Amino acid sequence: MTNDDLFAKIQARWPAVLKASIPVKDYLTVRIASPDELVPLASFLRDEGFDMLDMLTATDHLGPVNMSGFIRQPNFNPFLPEGATPEIESAASAGYPYRPAMDLLWSFVSVANKNRVIVRLEIARQGVRVPSLTGLFKSADWQERENFDLLGIQYDGHPNLTKILTPDFLQGHPLRKDYVHIKDRFDE
Amino acid sequence: MGMVLEKLPGLTKGLPGGDLVLTSADYLIDLGRRQSLWPMTFGLACCAIEMMASYASRLDFDRFGVIPRASPRQADVMIVSGTVCKKMAEPILEIYHQMPEPRFVISMGSCANCGGPYYDSYSVVKGIDRIVPVDVYIAGCPPRPESLQYAVVKLQEKIAKMSLKKGLATPQQEKGSRDINV
Repeated sequence: MTNDDLFAKIQARWPAVLKASIPVKDYLTVRIASPDELVPLASFLRDEGFDMLDMLTATDHLGPVNMSGFIRQPNFNPFLPEGATPEIESAASAGYPYRPAMDLLWSFVSVANKNRVIVRLEIARQGVRVPSLTGLFKSADWQERENFDLLGIQYDGHPNLTKILTPDFLQGHPLRKDYVHIKDRFDE
Repeated sequence: MGMVLEKLPGLTKGLPGGDLVLTSADYLIDLGRRQSLWPMTFGLACCAIEMMASYASRLDFDRFGVIPRASPRQADVMIVSGTVCKKMAEPILEIYHQMPEPRFVISMGSCANCGGPYYDSYSVVKGIDRIVPVDVYIAGCPPRPESLQYAVVKLQEKIAKMSLKKGLATPQQEKGSRDINV
């Protein structure tokens, strides 16, 4: 089955699912409109042979980044005068404007057919809640915990949604763009 | 043992039968210490690959008496090879306190020296010397295996200056960690 056939099959069942404007490599990349479509779509993809959840991740598109929590000065050149224009300034990259949105991504792999389908979802970044895929894919467990830990995304239905990477004393979710680092005992 | 007796500081000639050697206790103890520096086996990041290369046969760390041990109880020196995350800092402290005195620390690579490229990070300790005293720092990202072996030679020079009179204190404990030429 080609990607076009698969997409036609998906769109017959979920008309709101659209092809993403920028595909990930040459893979079929679809955008779902709401989190409610995720579990039925993942279940459908698993029955179609995409039986491995390769990766799930997310990007916070809020900007510009507040540099105050960082240790380094925006002017790291010591020869610049006091109050010079900062050399480090965060700027939006072309095609990805600053917006208060969280871009979530799931990648389903078909090992037999050497193909993959990317599912994307862009939602408002405050209080992101999406359904967990742990019921369908075992590999979702730790990756969802990682996304919760670093980006603060709540996965409904996850059996054990706790910190997995950052130490217990770290406050907040470091990969969120509004994260401000609170100094701990290792930061002097 | 392969020891060159002519280089011993002391009287080696003229003693009856040549069975006795006269030298200082400091020299003998320091000789034993510096020629069998057993490091604790652990690696944290890519510097550990260079450390493994220096243990392997081409560079052959055994020449210095450096034989990695799997237990901190048997180790003399801890080679901190790689990025120290804040979460890893506590296990490292635990390993350090499990090592018997006198214990030495080699900080290998930019990450262990000062945080290196992760200086701005929320999760990396900016230098292992913030949590344990360091005897020798090695610059590089990562340092070559030869640099690590040079660091061991510098540590041996340092140990050669240890003295019983100073209550078995390491030179680092006497003078602070950053001054290598004590």
